[in-house]
Amino acid sequence: MTLGIVLLPVIGAVVAMLAGHRRERIAPLAGVVTTAASLGAALVIGFGHWGDAAASALGPYEISTGGTPILVGLRVDQLSASMLVLATAVALLVQVYSVSYLRGDPRYPTYTALVCLFTAAMSLVVVSDDLFVLLVGWEVMGVCSYFLISHHWELEPAREGAVKAFVMTRLGDIGFLFGIFVIGEAAGTYQISGVITAAEAGSITSGEATISTLLLLCGVVGKSAQFPLHSWLPDAMPGPTPISALIHAATMVAAGVYLVARLLPVYVLSDVAMAVLSGIAVITMLGSALMALAADDLKRVLAWSTVSQLAYMFAALSLAGYGAAILHLLSHGAFKALLFLAAGSVIHAVGTQRLGQMGGLRAALPITFTTMTIGFAALAGVPPLVGFFSKDAVLGVAYEQAMHGEYAVRGWLVLVAGLLGAALTAAYSTRAWLLVFLGPRRGSTAEPSDGADNGRIVAAEPHESPWLMLGPLVLLAIPCLVGSWAVLRPGFLGIEADPLHLPVALISLGLALGAIAATVFAWWQLGAADPAVRLGKFRQVLAGEFHYDALVERVILRPSRFSALAVAANESSIVEPYVQGADTATQWSARLLRWLHDGNLQRYVTTVVLGAVALAVVIGLAQ
Amino acid sequence: MPLLFPLVLSALLFGIGTYVVMARRHAVLVLMGVELMLNAVNLNLVAFDAWWHDALDSGQVLALFVIAIAAAEIGLGLAIVLLVFRTHQHINVDAMRELADRDGGQRADQEASKHTDRGAGSSPDRVAVTPP
Amino acid sequence: MTLVEVLFLLLGAMALGSAVLVAVSANLVHCALWLVVTLGALAGCYLLLAAEFVAWVQVLIYLGAVVVLLLFALMLTRAPTGAVPDLTSSNRFLAAFTAAAASGLLIVSFAAGFGGTRIEIGSGDIGSAGALGSTLFGAWVLGFEVLSVLLLAALIGAIVLSRRQERD
Repeated sequence: MTLGIVLLPVIGAVVAMLAGHRRERIAPLAGVVTTAASLGAALVIGFGHWGDAAASALGPYEISTGGTPILVGLRVDQLSASMLVLATAVALLVQVYSVSYLRGDPRYPTYTALVCLFTAAMSLVVVSDDLFVLLVGWEVMGVCSYFLISHHWELEPAREGAVKAFVMTRLGDIGFLFGIFVIGEAAGTYQISGVITAAEAGSITSGEATISTLLLLCGVVGKSAQFPLHSWLPDAMPGPTPISALIHAATMVAAGVYLVARLLPVYVLSDVAMAVLSGIAVITMLGSALMALAADDLKRVLAWSTVSQLAYMFAALSLAGYGAAILHLLSHGAFKALLFLAAGSVIHAVGTQRLGQMGGLRAALPITFTTMTIGFAALAGVPPLVGFFSKDAVLGVAYEQAMHGEYAVRGWLVLVAGLLGAALTAAYSTRAWLLVFLGPRRGSTAEPSDGADNGRIVAAEPHESPWLMLGPLVLLAIPCLVGSWAVLRPGFLGIEADPLHLPVALISLGLALGAIAATVFAWWQLGAADPAVRLGKFRQVLAGEFHYDALVERVILRPSRFSALAVAANESSIVEPYVQGADTATQWSARLLRWLHDGNLQRYVTTVVLGAVALAVVIGLAQ
Repeated sequence: MPLLFPLVLSALLFGIGTYVVMARRHAVLVLMGVELMLNAVNLNLVAFDAWWHDALDSGQVLALFVIAIAAAEIGLGLAIVLLVFRTHQHINVDAMRELADRDGGQRADQEASKHTDRGAGSSPDRVAVTPP
Repeated sequence: MTLVEVLFLLLGAMALGSAVLVAVSANLVHCALWLVVTLGALAGCYLLLAAEFVAWVQVLIYLGAVVVLLLFALMLTRAPTGAVPDLTSSNRFLAAFTAAAASGLLIVSFAAGFGGTRIEIGSGDIGSAGALGSTLFGAWVLGFEVLSVLLLAALIGAIVLSRRQERD
């Protein structure tokens, strides 16, 4: 069953790739059917692990390596089961959504196949009980992400975004690989459950834990787009919008969170790693929320908000708040997928991603408006939507630690940052919502979209998307509405129920409402213009994303290019002469030897006889 | 009779045979040198046979075999010599340099021109061996 | 020193001397004739070593057939009958050294291995035609047959080569 979840989408991918170009219907059908079957299997497994059911496992099968053996196996517990359901459910909705969104796209079969493959890889990461198998899934996700971002490879930003995403995540993965080595050596096994057992039994020293978790953190930071490897995620937005929903909101970026949650017993052993994690989370949380506030691209706003929300999860994890992080991960998966798919619907209608060219779409897109409003409200933390409660769980962890926990200092840090972040989140959500749906209609739809999704031709008047696209929106809105119940009773996840932390909840609610009110006021005062104008000069800094890319260019890329030139010069001036010298020496020695081969048979015979005599003499003397 | 008598004789004959093969320019002379070497070997075989009193007469029989092979060899060798004469108009062994390693044949031409007026052949054909 | 030894030394000297003339003579036909002398002297040596049948075969095949073939070849290649000035190549010094080294090596090793041994020839050792024929067709018949195949191959080879000649 578990293996089926992983293999079914692979079959779908193969069918879509091989047969998808023959008939138009095969590729969507293969994608939807196999993903649906996968979701069915995931649901069965999910119900099987409801509550405090024990983990089930397949394997392990030993692969002897001469050193530490690799134990390949699959293992499903509550965490993996819930992640499986999230990943396959979002994947199925994205597949259905894409049928309409990418109708008539010549590269549809490839697209479907990659989405299927991606689903399989994510499932593999979630169910694998071996660090190396996990790495395989992890890398397959990375490469699928690369291909899907560059789906419209005829557009410059798509190509650049894909390369950037690939290189930046790969940079982290180097550390990840070495982290696996260290952790395997320290624990004596590469089996995840074995590693956790070893960590809980105390057979991993603090130093080993620090080195391995920091190295693993490199990969996690890359995959989940945290500071300092955060800048690839917004640049990945030229990919098709459903892909942003699947990969860059609900699943792949969540894989980092999943991994840290999975290996939390090891992380707990290292104060340094936890402190680093807290620092990264706080910086990312506030920085990306600020950038979301000033971004002029709807998808970019959502991307920055994803980065910010992931930072919430890492903040919770850095305070050992396992349950809170998982709850926020699941709820964020739901409402961010909803937001991205709704954004896709908006883009589909107006043909641009620029916030400045939207506005007044409430009447034209009633269903999109309703569902996206739910999504924004959940993001902003408006009760009784799911986002409020899951964010409260995170802030509650920070509050507990700050008041009477062992991580008091970091608890306070996260608490303050989290509250500030909550206000910023509410502000940018409101801003985006106002600019998209309210106010007068701005911009011209006739103008071809710049860097927009795929430059589709747009009708003169925005119109509601077809039901194949609206269906997933409605379905995703349901967990946003009723998920709060699950968050308050998370027993089915094997997580202890966590009551509302009233003081924190009230403060965060007050801050969020205040931010919303301030944003609406600014918007109203400016005559339905962008409230970000109120930021003044700071807006330029934020819209420029703190000039982080320029900094990277100056600090890392230029020295790299310079040293590459130096290496090239070294090659041509120092290494090359040796190579040339070998060539020349060979030629000259060959010329020297050639006079022996003058074709005179008698001389050859003389040489042979002389050689035989000399050999005989030498052998005779030797004896 | 000391065994060394025939042995030394055969060694000297063998040396003379090799000298003829290595130093004489005419192909038929080279073949004569080969015959000398073969006869030196025969003498050895017969001498050892006489010394050993071999019941199977190995040495003498092998000498007979060598004579037969020598006859075959000389037949083929002469056929080849005649063929070379047909294609080259000479049978100067050291003027036949088609096997030399060279760039575009200049070297071989120089070598061949050195031997143009020598030996039994009238004028060396500078064209490489072409099967008629 | 017995009569046999004296005769052997005389024949050996004759063979050596004529062989040296083969090696140095400037006249091609003379070379062939000196070769006849060498081979004939060797046939005498075989007789003295009790190899009667081998000696007669030597006379028949070498003197009768091989040398005649060589003379034919000289005629067919229009070899000059007079002296040819440049019959020895520039390789001669190296060749002489090599040949001397080979001979010297052989003599030294023979002397070291068989220095004091003598050949004692009894009356039963005579390699007469009858004795040699019975071993040749008894113990050595397989080699003999193989040799006949070899001769056939040589025959065919010679025909092939001369046929190509005819096509010119």
